Amino acid sequence: MKGYIGKVLRIDLNNLTSSVESLNLLWAEKYIGGKGLAMKYIYEELPPKVDPLSPKNKMILMTGPLTGTAVPCSGKLTIAAKSPATNTILDCSIGGHIAGEIKYAGYDAIIIEGKAEKPVYLHIENSKVELKSAGNLWGKGTHETEFFLKATCGPEVKVLAIGPAGENMVPMACITSELYRQAGRGGIGAVMGSKNLKAIVVKGTNGVKVADPKQLTARAKEIMKKDTLSDDNLWAYTDGTPIIVELSNSTGVLPTRNFQQGTFDGFDKIHAEAVKAVRKDKKGCLSCGLGCGNYVNTGQSVVEGPEYETLSIGGSNCGIDDLEAIVEFNKLCDDLGLDTISTGNTIAFAMELTEKGIKDFNLKFGDVKGYLKATKNIANKETELALGVKGLSEKYGGKEFAMQVKGLEFPGYEPRGSWGMGLAYATSDRGACHTRAWPIADEAYGDMDPFTIEGKAELVVGLQHYNAAKFSTILCDFWALSLETVAELLTLVTGKQYTEKDLKIIGERIVNLARMFNIREGFDAKDDRLPQRIYKEALKTGATAEKLLPEEEFNKMLREYYQIRGWDSEGKPTGEKLDELAI
Amino acid sequence: MKLSLDISRCIGCKLCQIACSAEKEGVYQPTAARLQIEKIYTMQGLETKVAICTQCLDCVEVCPTEAIKYENGMLTYSEEECTGCNECADACPQGVIVVKADTVGICDSCGGSPECVNWCPHGALTFGCREGGGVG
Ligand code: SF4
Ligand code: SF4
Repeated sequence: MKGYIGKVLRIDLNNLTSSVESLNLLWAEKYIGGKGLAMKYIYEELPPKVDPLSPKNKMILMTGPLTGTAVPCSGKLTIAAKSPATNTILDCSIGGHIAGEIKYAGYDAIIIEGKAEKPVYLHIENSKVELKSAGNLWGKGTHETEFFLKATCGPEVKVLAIGPAGENMVPMACITSELYRQAGRGGIGAVMGSKNLKAIVVKGTNGVKVADPKQLTARAKEIMKKDTLSDDNLWAYTDGTPIIVELSNSTGVLPTRNFQQGTFDGFDKIHAEAVKAVRKDKKGCLSCGLGCGNYVNTGQSVVEGPEYETLSIGGSNCGIDDLEAIVEFNKLCDDLGLDTISTGNTIAFAMELTEKGIKDFNLKFGDVKGYLKATKNIANKETELALGVKGLSEKYGGKEFAMQVKGLEFPGYEPRGSWGMGLAYATSDRGACHTRAWPIADEAYGDMDPFTIEGKAELVVGLQHYNAAKFSTILCDFWALSLETVAELLTLVTGKQYTEKDLKIIGERIVNLARMFNIREGFDAKDDRLPQRIYKEALKTGATAEKLLPEEEFNKMLREYYQIRGWDSEGKPTGEKLDELAI
Repeated sequence: MKLSLDISRCIGCKLCQIACSAEKEGVYQPTAARLQIEKIYTMQGLETKVAICTQCLDCVEVCPTEAIKYENGMLTYSEEECTGCNECADACPQGVIVVKADTVGICDSCGGSPECVNWCPHGALTFGCREGGGVG
């Protein structure tokens, strides 16, 4: 199949060696690349019940057949492992230019196993692969690390790096590239830290060949002009994700004060117009005409961001309406190597624990100083907040309002105001996540009744298949294109005929494979649950006043979801289903 | 007639480079493009690094076999006449002449319909008689 390089670079950190092997093309036919193929490698190569922070865990960097080509918005890289935050399978998606660089260097994937005795960084320049000492970089932020590596290895290299949070194996540690782009969730940075791997530096100068370059270039250009840059998608360029703040507030789904409310008085200090007022420039990922990145400078602090997730979870959810403080929080998280979603949630949870008198963390909603200090302390593991929301609730209580599923903290969408979103959080392969399915676009932000379970199971199932397939090609979440178009592009790239139906089946196969991994780890239906606050505590303000998601309704929706999926009442795929999907 | 870049509109997507390499080399390979545009974070903040043909004509001057000519406001290049001495590439102040096995790759403005400009999603790259050309 064209579009692939056909090569995997395997790094053995135990022995500080590397080797090159063929990409498993049989698997590529069934799982494409990106998320799907990375998960297949993880599923096959990890023994059950591996400690995620032990040398036995592996980290897989996976590109896709579209990576590096003229297909718009194909600049993402999947990074997968077993998650130290959830013990589930974990795949993250990171933008910037690193994915293309890996492919131009001559690899579809990089598999990292073992643990180096001392801190190292991996330096790849096409076929030249070296492990070098990172002793001088240990303890440094991702920004200083990236600047140092560019000064040492050349300004054109692309870098993935962890900060102190990753080194300290904090379960909400991320991996950073180009200072402000993240593989954010599930503690992927902690996995890298556990391997004593500080950074990965890549330079690639080769090309990517596809089955029909003339046709692909012509179609890609047409699609970019007509589809990518159409009104449906252009919000990413004009505003970027901050545009969602106002929408969420008006529909009552803007997480506020640890999900105690769905509206925020200070929303207009942190919405898109406020961000645009301090915006200085725009930046996109490789091959992306959307350029969602807002480069802002408040005078005090500089960041590419803040994205909606940070504005909501690190803003309204902590009771913070000071944009300058959120920008500083964002920059701190990026530099220290922390996921803003999990970090913001943990601080918000600690604020509520304190205010309720359950445990005093000396934090209050809206307390900017405390919030910024806590962020630093989490990265340095100088506070129990580094346990994350689930860990804290197990130690001190407050489980009813510990806003997490399977150990992953909630993103910025209130499920009581979009019931399908609750199902999406409960059934996502890596815990509460908004990128496996985003039904809120049809519910609170769209035309569907958000306060019913009617049609939601089907909606979430379909979206999970769509995203799993899309993230395996690998395309950016922000480009809303049809699977038909994805199939057309994939056919031109690989030379293998793909249809919309094929992609739906592949999507379903990926979802089921991830589920089988999690079942092997001991997860079942009882883990597909939301915190009690969602079931029992009604919201008080705005469009979601008086609303909750009753537990019986949730359970009904979940049962329907299992049924549609061909899973048994324990949430386990039936033998029939697995045969049908050839897993 | 030359290329110019309005850096305030550039998002650093490199579609221009990908398009150039596709058009000229039949492969997607930004390093094989006849222009290099990068948005990159430095200690000073977000900077745009630009290398495009400014039609300074240094290449035309140094080419010993007249393989590169300047005609009708564009560069032309003849592979037959090129001996692969790479003097043009050495002389190019922008470093946008691509060195290949025994030939070179020159920005020939795609004969008047530049692919890089056609692809640029936000009109950052333009082609025309803009005074001075280059970077603005
Ligand atoms: S005008 Fe043509 S040859 Fe010159 S840089 Fe643009 S695409 Fe490449
Ligand atoms: S295509 Fe346009 S926006 Fe993208 S890097 Fe090139 S000049 Fe900049």
